[in-house]
Parts: sequence; structure tokens; C-alpha cells
Amino acid sequence: MTGTRPQTPAILLKGVKKTYGNFELGPVDLRIESGCIVAVVGPNGGGKSTLFGILMNLIQPDSGEVSLFGLAYPEDEVEIKRKVGYVPERPIGHDEMSSRALGEFFSYWYPRWDQRLYEDLLRRYEVDPDKRFGKLSKGMQRRLSFALALATGSELLLLDEPTAGVDPFARTEMLEDLSRFAEPGGHDDDRTVVFATQVVEEARHIADHMILVADGEFLGPYEKDALLDGWKTFWVDREPEGLIPGVVEVDGRSPARIVTDSPHETAEALSAQSVRMVRKASVDLEEILSHLMHRSKAERTAQR
Amino acid sequence: MNEKPKEPRLPLYLSMDNPEPMYSQIESQLRDLILADVLPSGSKLPSIRALASDLACSVITTRRAYEDLEREGFIRTRPGRGTVVAQIPEEKMSAHRREPVERALREAVRAGRRAGLSEEDLHHFLEEVLQTEETTVRGGTS
Repeated sequence: MTGTRPQTPAILLKGVKKTYGNFELGPVDLRIESGCIVAVVGPNGGGKSTLFGILMNLIQPDSGEVSLFGLAYPEDEVEIKRKVGYVPERPIGHDEMSSRALGEFFSYWYPRWDQRLYEDLLRRYEVDPDKRFGKLSKGMQRRLSFALALATGSELLLLDEPTAGVDPFARTEMLEDLSRFAEPGGHDDDRTVVFATQVVEEARHIADHMILVADGEFLGPYEKDALLDGWKTFWVDREPEGLIPGVVEVDGRSPARIVTDSPHETAEALSAQSVRMVRKASVDLEEILSHLMHRSKAERTAQR
Repeated sequence: MNEKPKEPRLPLYLSMDNPEPMYSQIESQLRDLILADVLPSGSKLPSIRALASDLACSVITTRRAYEDLEREGFIRTRPGRGTVVAQIPEEKMSAHRREPVERALREAVRAGRRAGLSEEDLHHFLEEVLQTEETTVRGGTS
């Protein structure tokens, strides 16, 4: 099966650091296996776009190693870039070109350019083929950039907020197209997608793994379903006493709401205190992520 | 004009409030669909990515569910041809169909013991239940 055989990771970062003024990114150690969809989430200005810039060699790290498919910058730059479809936060040099012209331009560069897919996507996303990029609305520009990236037929897609400013219906369609792109079959390689988003719901819907980026710090990758399966909310009849293993947060007294990242241990400790369980429920992905972020922040502050 | 390839969709449902992990919810629901013959042998199943996308879970989860069901002999995957429901021997089907019934009966017997019923009481009770159930079923269909 694809997931278990050892292979060159799609992306490997080792000790990558970058400093601008008083913004410090990293050190980042990150390994992304090929064949998965990874969501990068976190507040604006946290370092998401810097990560994409580093992966595209638009930003050179101060130290550390970056490799894609086992290849490295600068010597393998051309080979790497022919295998990567990229949606930047703000595309440069597209403004004067129509989607038709952009398609022709991209088709020279990418050996596996798929013109049929490109035309199909533009039609479905209702992008005017003759209108210049700069004249399109923000949402239309995102759809066009996304269609360009998908049609490259690349092994790896790096998408920096591809759905920002896109209306919910088109957004759903884009996510479906993305998951179809990642489908093994019809092409013989494992396709990998890394996309940044501000919308946790998007990540919940299609990602296999999640990376959290905040204040230049990286957390994860986390296996998304392991987070959802591993965190629970317990409603109990009274507030437990002392330290309970796994408890991340306790809210209220009677009934009390407990968030745990180790449900079995927590449930045992509660029953040892004869605290009665009123209801068990899941925890929102958004809430889990916010706990993980606060925890890491608290740990860093404690270390200083 | 829409060129979306069609993937078979399945009547599966993941409950986040279920204490069972997602992969195991998929496994037991798929097993039930196969045992109930809703998915007869040879039925084509969606790819792990398509199923993940449909259920909003990850391919790690769907791959695990498929691997477990394949090991149990319910489904088989052929490279390049996708995953289909396997030919399941009749003895195995009936053994699996008996399983939930046996579990329910054992639980009923335990509940009876806790309530202080004797073996004879339990036999009578079962017969009573059988009779009332039979009349309800008849009443319902006539």
C-alpha cells in the first residue's frame, strides 16, 4: 500500500530559519510524505506565506536545508519548478494577460499541461477567457490561479490561500476538484497538496494532515482524524478535584465541561472520584487547534 | 459539459460524538451493508480518496478501514482496478449474521440473571416474546 513503503518525502525541511527585522521564523523541521493533502492554518502574519516563499525559493532561508522530491535549490531549481503548481498570495506579472494567454504561457513551461482540464475548470468557474487578469474580481483571480495550478498536472501543488475571497458555492467546487486532483489513478505518481487557509472548516473537510503556524512557530503535522478521535468533551455533574490526567480545560462547576486530549485516562480518573458523566461529545477542530496553539505559546514563555 | 468522473457513493455516516474512532465506524457500517446484501459481491467501492472526501475524513482513516476489511475477506483491491466487494462464502455470511443476534441474546440473558430470573423463567420469557413479536409482524403486514 502507498502509505507504508519508505519513499523520498515530497517536502523536507531541516532547521530552516529566516529572520526579518523582529519577525523570526523557525527553526522549522518538516517532513511531508507524497500522496497526502496538508492544510496549513494559522493567523495572518504568522509565517504561512513565508513558508510557501521558501518552498518556491522566492525567499532564501538564513540557515537550514530545503528539499523537494529529494532535490535542492539552487542547482535543481528548473527540475523542481516543473513539478510544482503554485498559487501565490499575489501573482506577479499576470495583470495584463487573459486566462487564454496565461494558459498558453503555462503550457510551454509545464510538460504535463492539461489543456482540456484547464478549459473545463474555467468554464465551470465561469472565468471569462478574454478578460485580463487585472480586470477580474479578487475571487475570479483566485479561481483562475487555482485552475492554472491544477492544469499543470504537477506532482505537488503549493496553494497559498487558494479560496480567499471566493464565494461558498465555488469554494466547495474548488475543494472537490482539489480532492479529485489528489486521487491516485489515471496518473502513476502520488500527488501531494499543501494549501494554506484561514477557514478551519475547509481544512477539516479535505485535509489528511494539518500544520499550525503562528508567530513564526510551526506545530505538526498532525493527523487530522487522530486529533478529532483523540480529543473529547465530557460534561460531568461536578467539578473534579486535584489533577486529572489529560484534562486541557475545565469550564463551570455543576455541570462542568471538561476538554481532554486523553479520554480514557480522564474517564478513569473521573470515575475513581465518582464524578458522574452526563454527556460525551466531540471537540471542534477549531477549538483543538486553538488549545494546541495556546499550549505551545505557554511552553515557550515558560522556557524563556 | 461537466466532465466530473462519477464515483459510487455509499450510505455511510460518521458521527463525531460516537466514542468509536472513525475508521471503525466505517468498517462496521460497510460490513453491515455487505452482510445485508445492499452491496453484493462485485460491487465497486469508491477509492480511498473519494470516500475520504465524501465523509470529510482523511485517507489515512479510509485506507485503514479498507485494509482491515480486506484482511477480514470482505473486500479486495486490485491494482489499477479499484476496490470491490469480495465473494464471501455462505458459511461466513451466516456466521457474521448470527454475531449481533448472539450478542443481543447474551446481553438479554445477563439482564435476566441480574433481575433474578431462573433459567426456566428465561425460557418462558423468550417464548412469550417470540409470540408477541410474531403477532406484531403478522399484524403489520396484513
